[in-house]
Amino acid sequence: MSATIIAPARAGEGGFLRAFASQEGLLAFAIVAVAILVGLDNARFLAVRNLSDIILGNAYIAVAAVGMSMVIVSGNIDISVGALIGVLATISGSLAVAGAPLALVWAAPLIVGVLVMMLQGAVIAYLKIPAIVVTLGMLSILKGGLISVTGGRWITDLPESFHLADIELFGILPMPVVIMVAATILAAFWMRYSARGRAIYATGGNAEAARLVGVSPQRTVVMVFALHGFFAGIAALLFATQLKVIQSTVPPNLELTVITAAVVGGVSILGGVGTVVGSTLAAVLIAEIASALVFINVSPYWIHAVQGVLILVTVVADILRRRRRLAGG
Amino acid sequence: MTGMTVLTEGARRAAPRWLIRHETLLAAILIVALAILGLFNDRFLTVDNLLNQGRLMTEVGIIALPMTFIIITGGIDLSVGSVVGLCAIMLGYSWKNFGFPLPLAIVFSLGVGAAAGFVNGLLITRVRVPPLIMTIATLALYRGLAEGVSQAHSVRNYPEWFFFVGQGELFGVPTQLWILLVGIIVAGIALDRTTFGRSLYAIGNNETAARFSGLPVDRVKLLIYTLSGLAAGVSAWVLVSRVTTTRSDMGIGYELDVIAAVVLGGTSIFGGAGTIWGTVVGLVMIQLLKNGLALTGVKGDATIIVIGVVLIASTLIASSLQRRR
Amino acid sequence: MKHAMMTTVAAAILGLAMAGGAARAADKWDGGDDIATSPLACDAGPPAATAAKPYDGGQPTAAPDKAGKPITIVDVPKLIGIGYFNATSKGMQDAAKELGNVKVTTDGPTEAKIDEQIKFIDNYITRGVDGVLFAANDPVAIAPVLKKALSKGIHVVGYDANSSPDAREWFVNQAQFNGIAKAMIDSLAKEVGEDKSFAIVTSTFTTPNQARWIAEMSAYAAKCHPKLKWLETVEAQEDNVLSFNQATTLINKYGDKLSGLLGMTSVATPASAEAVTKANLCGKVAVVGLATPNAMKPYVNAGCVKSVVLWNPVDLGYAATYVLRAVVDGKLKAGGTSVEAGKLGKLNVINGSEILLGSPFIFTKDNVKDFDF
Repeated sequence: MSATIIAPARAGEGGFLRAFASQEGLLAFAIVAVAILVGLDNARFLAVRNLSDIILGNAYIAVAAVGMSMVIVSGNIDISVGALIGVLATISGSLAVAGAPLALVWAAPLIVGVLVMMLQGAVIAYLKIPAIVVTLGMLSILKGGLISVTGGRWITDLPESFHLADIELFGILPMPVVIMVAATILAAFWMRYSARGRAIYATGGNAEAARLVGVSPQRTVVMVFALHGFFAGIAALLFATQLKVIQSTVPPNLELTVITAAVVGGVSILGGVGTVVGSTLAAVLIAEIASALVFINVSPYWIHAVQGVLILVTVVADILRRRRRLAGG
Repeated sequence: MTGMTVLTEGARRAAPRWLIRHETLLAAILIVALAILGLFNDRFLTVDNLLNQGRLMTEVGIIALPMTFIIITGGIDLSVGSVVGLCAIMLGYSWKNFGFPLPLAIVFSLGVGAAAGFVNGLLITRVRVPPLIMTIATLALYRGLAEGVSQAHSVRNYPEWFFFVGQGELFGVPTQLWILLVGIIVAGIALDRTTFGRSLYAIGNNETAARFSGLPVDRVKLLIYTLSGLAAGVSAWVLVSRVTTTRSDMGIGYELDVIAAVVLGGTSIFGGAGTIWGTVVGLVMIQLLKNGLALTGVKGDATIIVIGVVLIASTLIASSLQRRR
Repeated sequence: MKHAMMTTVAAAILGLAMAGGAARAADKWDGGDDIATSPLACDAGPPAATAAKPYDGGQPTAAPDKAGKPITIVDVPKLIGIGYFNATSKGMQDAAKELGNVKVTTDGPTEAKIDEQIKFIDNYITRGVDGVLFAANDPVAIAPVLKKALSKGIHVVGYDANSSPDAREWFVNQAQFNGIAKAMIDSLAKEVGEDKSFAIVTSTFTTPNQARWIAEMSAYAAKCHPKLKWLETVEAQEDNVLSFNQATTLINKYGDKLSGLLGMTSVATPASAEAVTKANLCGKVAVVGLATPNAMKPYVNAGCVKSVVLWNPVDLGYAATYVLRAVVDGKLKAGGTSVEAGKLGKLNVINGSEILLGSPFIFTKDNVKDFDF
């Protein structure tokens, strides 16, 4: 019991050196190791083009995982994020085709994302309905709603200016990478060094203790979900603006991939532990492995099994490491 | 605190009045909903249709029984859908490729399910991987194994007798519904009247205290996760028998259907409370709602919106009832 | 702590390497179901008439006689919410309007799951409809519920994706599997040349039509374009972004060795075209595939994609409705050889109980603007 309370404090203090002897370090090492090993088999894997494609194509998952990590650290979970991203992408695309100003087209998914998630957060925090129930129900509502409204019609004829993901800052930095890195760094600093950010760890670690020291668990949960909605909105934008058409359906298994990225990234489902740097690294690793398996000719039938093994190995390693740290003091 | 005290504490907390009222309220809502739907459509409340729905809800229902146990202890099992797929594939594969006689293949696939659940339980108890994370990982792994082993081949052309479980009837009631009913009775008795059942509530309420009072917590957990895998195996057997073929994508999404039924039935996701009776009401409610809405002419996409709303609303009602006490 | 970390990482990497070594891709392109293939002749002529087969469909038991009377039909496609089945549904509505005495509702699962599809059909059987149109997620699994419909006197006609023959009365086939295979491979070979390599992007190997098309393509290429080299096939579900990422991975993996991408679904093909466009390889890597014209317009107009193979799904739905009406009216009976399908004229019966819509249609820059689905 006491160990659980100590751990979040350590997450705040400590400093970056501790971070590297941890899940984040393990992940960074794994990313490099996989790249080298696959590169030995097929040198084309290490081409700049390929490595950047891997990151660009999957940056949206990392961004969504930032928000999901916060939710999980606060002691909750959200399985509606995949459906929400589908809905937000459709909203953005529809506005673009209807000729709305670009600022609105890009802002709309953020605003709607925040509102929808805040609603869920409020229901969870104030009405005390477990997160799994609320988000499961919302998943159905969003999925059915999306099909009812759009009939699954693809959105084509998007204006050129819509494609946020194609923009390159200063001509060389692709937007998805910039956004992913910025989101991760900002969120990481905020969670570690700001009072509100650390309140998330406190709420997740021990809500009662948090309340006793003046943190309002309810307000924290609503705030966390609002932020989660914000990041989901950004992820939806990256997702929608990558291609010339938008599929108005819920991307299959997206929520599972995002949760996996957060979990493999070291976020503990018991709440109170984990960083968004870990989840971003994990999202990159997962995408890298998916590409790597194609490069080294793993039979397509066995790809999911191999991915499953890797997730399991990473998770077990993380738990073992955590137990050794708690036991070792 | 002695073991007995913990158990009786657990027993007292297992059946407080508010919980009984939740199921009763839910059952009342169910009856009202059924009556309304029945008014709109005369084919809904017929014996034929209700028995048919009973047949169709068995696959999810069987898995919901051990899932109730698991959620009462504060755990969860998200891998059940993938275990269904794996067992279905292994049923066909061992019959066709290993050459097992079909009855042996069935037993083998049930064994595979139990083993899959056992692996979950083992890593959850020995390595202390949190159940959510463990079963997310095995959700991917077991599905991957099903795909890898089957290599997109289906196994078909089973002998006639094999279809009895999925498509046959015994005394006018679908065969698989009998299996579900037996399961419900056994699970209900186990939960309500045995030490095993009481220990589940104890673990869910306060696992550390349960451990310190000498309850075999790890053994109990191992058992319930193994049962969950076994139930998934039975579900797979019923499913293959009903649709006469095997596919590696069988069971996708089952975990959410099962959890919805269990949670709707009043089992708290935080652990420590819940009954089999509640799960049954939750299960029946979702199945009959979907069926009733479809018969009334509500289309698929609108139906899932309604189910989502019902899920949240029912939990809201039940929870506000709890607080009023 | 470091020791555990290192050991686990090493184990993971070793496992990955072993898995990679042990699970190397099989030689088959992946037809999955081991049914014999029948590649067409290599020349450009129309497919030779296949020998007539006796009728092998199922029949309803004691179907009420509704010849000339209004009927209600339900259409249960693989899933709702994708452009392809929106198009077939539109064709059905068009036919219903023309016929005047048919009411068609399209309803189905939101994901391509056979179990869900079965439940939808089951509910409509209980409701009591006169006819069921279906596109099956699995040919064998859907048979029991279709047979149940037949036993209750409901007429059953399939389109797009068949069931086992005795579970339905007729199946409207958009194009023969080997015809599609020929169109795809011929288009590819024409664009890239004979001595080149290509890869395939599909949805999943367990989608029945996919497996058959790929098997037929493999057989046809072996017969008529033996120098064309197949590199690999990747799965991308029905996910746009995943298809894009998979296609990009293929482009990066093979570099110059890849001359063409074959997209097997209306999701995979535009995504593959996008991947080629983003990699600035338009014109250097050919993209040929099955797709709906709207999604492909930007790429066809940009010259990145020269030919899109399909049939007209609106016509497919239209024909299916006419067939069911003809069956109810007694104008198409078991053993019949042709059926009148409104503006499509006379359609022929092939393979015993299949009705052929026609040959695959190829959309190019010249005609793609004429279509809106």
